[in-house]
Amino acid sequence: MNFCYIIATVTNDPGWFDIERLPTLIAAVVAIAIVLYTTYHRSSREKFKVREIPALKAVEEAIGRATEMARPLLYTPGWGGDIQRPTTIASLNMLAHVAEKTARYDCRLVFPTHDPVIMSVAQEVVKEAYVRAGYPDRFRQEDISYVSSSQFAYAAGVDGMISRLKPASIFLLGTFEAESLILAETGNSIGAIQIAGTDSTIQLSFFIVACDYTLIGEELFAASGYLSGDRSILASVRAQDILKVVIMLILMVATVWSTVTFISNGSTEGWWTF
Amino acid sequence: MHLETRHWIFAGLFLLVGLTLVSGITLDLPVSPDTQRMYDFIEELPEGSVLLVSFDHEASSLPEIQPITLALLRHGFEHKLCLVGLALMAEGTAIGYRLMCETAEEFDAEYGTDYVFLGFRPQYIAAILSMGESIKATFPEDYLSRPYDSLALLRPLGNYSDVVGVLSIADGSFTTHWVEYGGRYELKVLAGVTAAMVTTYDPYLASGQMQAMVSGLRGAAEYETLINRGGGGARGMLAQTSAHLYVILLVILGNVSYFLKRRRTN
Amino acid sequence: MDRRIAVVICFAFGLVMFAQYFSAHPLAHSVNQTVADYWQIIFAFALIVGVVGFLNNNFQQVRKGQDRPFRLLSLAGFVIMPVLAMIWGIKAGTPFLWVFENIQVPLQSTVFALLAFFVASASFRGFRARSVPAAILLSAALIILISRSFATGPLSEWLPDVAEWIRNNPSMAARRAILIGIGLGSLTTSLRVILGIERTWLGGGK
Repeated sequence: MNFCYIIATVTNDPGWFDIERLPTLIAAVVAIAIVLYTTYHRSSREKFKVREIPALKAVEEAIGRATEMARPLLYTPGWGGDIQRPTTIASLNMLAHVAEKTARYDCRLVFPTHDPVIMSVAQEVVKEAYVRAGYPDRFRQEDISYVSSSQFAYAAGVDGMISRLKPASIFLLGTFEAESLILAETGNSIGAIQIAGTDSTIQLSFFIVACDYTLIGEELFAASGYLSGDRSILASVRAQDILKVVIMLILMVATVWSTVTFISNGSTEGWWTF
Repeated sequence: MHLETRHWIFAGLFLLVGLTLVSGITLDLPVSPDTQRMYDFIEELPEGSVLLVSFDHEASSLPEIQPITLALLRHGFEHKLCLVGLALMAEGTAIGYRLMCETAEEFDAEYGTDYVFLGFRPQYIAAILSMGESIKATFPEDYLSRPYDSLALLRPLGNYSDVVGVLSIADGSFTTHWVEYGGRYELKVLAGVTAAMVTTYDPYLASGQMQAMVSGLRGAAEYETLINRGGGGARGMLAQTSAHLYVILLVILGNVSYFLKRRRTN
Repeated sequence: MDRRIAVVICFAFGLVMFAQYFSAHPLAHSVNQTVADYWQIIFAFALIVGVVGFLNNNFQQVRKGQDRPFRLLSLAGFVIMPVLAMIWGIKAGTPFLWVFENIQVPLQSTVFALLAFFVASASFRGFRARSVPAAILLSAALIILISRSFATGPLSEWLPDVAEWIRNNPSMAARRAILIGIGLGSLTTSLRVILGIERTWLGGGK
């Protein structure tokens, strides 16, 4: 039925391109071109230095601490994201790295989540990391579990796990909402070392107060590249930086141009408004 | 049981909020520009305009969300707007339906002509995009399982171009999805949100991607002042103010103890 | 091989959805509508995965004797709510709604309310004027906090304006910068997914 409708509608309207979206198309094409260039061009893929991020240097310490104390490590991606969200993907990339280490050190990794699809993907990611580390027998599927899709049922569930299991280290990496401080404060009350990172600007302030280390916004996206040294991820970090410079230049030119225009003829309209 | 400092802090807050809530004292508040903007936006809408009201929240935030929702719905019904309710979070469905029905009753609004409740759709992004193409295709029937075309209010509604905007009642970042995906269809977005989310939405409000926002108990209390009706917002303000002052006191005490400790160490 | 098929499907749909955004043609709209419809259908099936995982996990833990009371309570809730919904429905006045409004809502509100207690303890412990920037941050926070309360007398004259200025200028500038960074991070991650460079969403591997 839907496909018949699609074919039937082809003949009705000639508006193949929405001209109002031209600026977005130009911006998208430029961004895609830069990402493709940094990813596939050989000279661009040569090694470059990523600045040190304290939270990422602490990952090793957090895993080591849990191993020494013979207590589990808890990792949760927050309630706010689903599998299609880039932040969740970045968090799962980090999980792969952390899981490989916990497999090697024989440290128990507990991963509660609010989303069934994230649970399935995380099970695969962790299983593969354990295989990669050479210890597939140490993988415990039941430790990667679905708690609840409801925000505070999830928060209560994870809080309960933190209180009962008393993990030595807690990783709060992903999209968090109001549950962030509840989890971080509970983690703090049991004396766990906490590494957090999120794309929710409002929750960052809570994490900074309650956690030992915090990855701010895009640092989370760079984290997996930093830890794994994966060239394709590092290439996209470089693309982000180039795009950031482009945006900064456009902003500066637009600011000066619009200020001059406003002073000279009192107009706030120009190429920068679309 | 060993009591730590934080337990005393918790007990102090519990007592303070409990006592101030029981006291029933209400406060007169000056209206903030944000709240005034929402009031003006609704006031300027012609009577009979159709406004979508999306209940994008969970049950947990009800004590804060309910006063905001009631104040906005009351204004909407009083101004003779036609309200079409829906929920993008499952838990908002029953709450949204109840709040709409209760408010409609206060104004003798009739179901089907003055207001309708469409119910819940999962996968919010898909639902928002889908409604941009066709509201009927997204909700073939209303919450009470009546066919879309059997309701007079819904019959002329095709997609977002037939409504004046959406009022998203949210306790999380859901409203950003209305801005990002509804914005593709030039849908105007209004928001009633919990106080914790204010700073998340500030950039959207400043850039004009969001038209107006009422936030937190304070916003609800201000709105109640504007529409001249009492409610939970005004009642809760004393408790909230006391809690804020308590936190300020804690911050000061924390800093005093920090500096004393530092001096001793030096 | 199975992963390659998934990558190809992802690439094709990524391309189509990107292209349809820039078209005003009814075909683009119907493609968008169709994908949105299927998206909702797929989500319903994904829930089954969660239900199976939830049951499996809880039964295993009950058998092992770990956290038994909590697990049993979860399983009881899992059975009772659908049964109530199937017998009496979920509309106003039904037992399902009674349980929702009188058990679930207060329980969830209680967990949400914990936030206030944790904000109090975190402010006491963490909000210290350790340096000049921290002291500036602290002062800004106090101004915002008071402005959101009931400020009387001379305070109510200028405090909201100062708070508004802080929110709309330094705070907004910082948040916009973070948002731009996040947006770029999202863009590059999404592109990696569409191009098949990033395969974590398939459970990892190359």
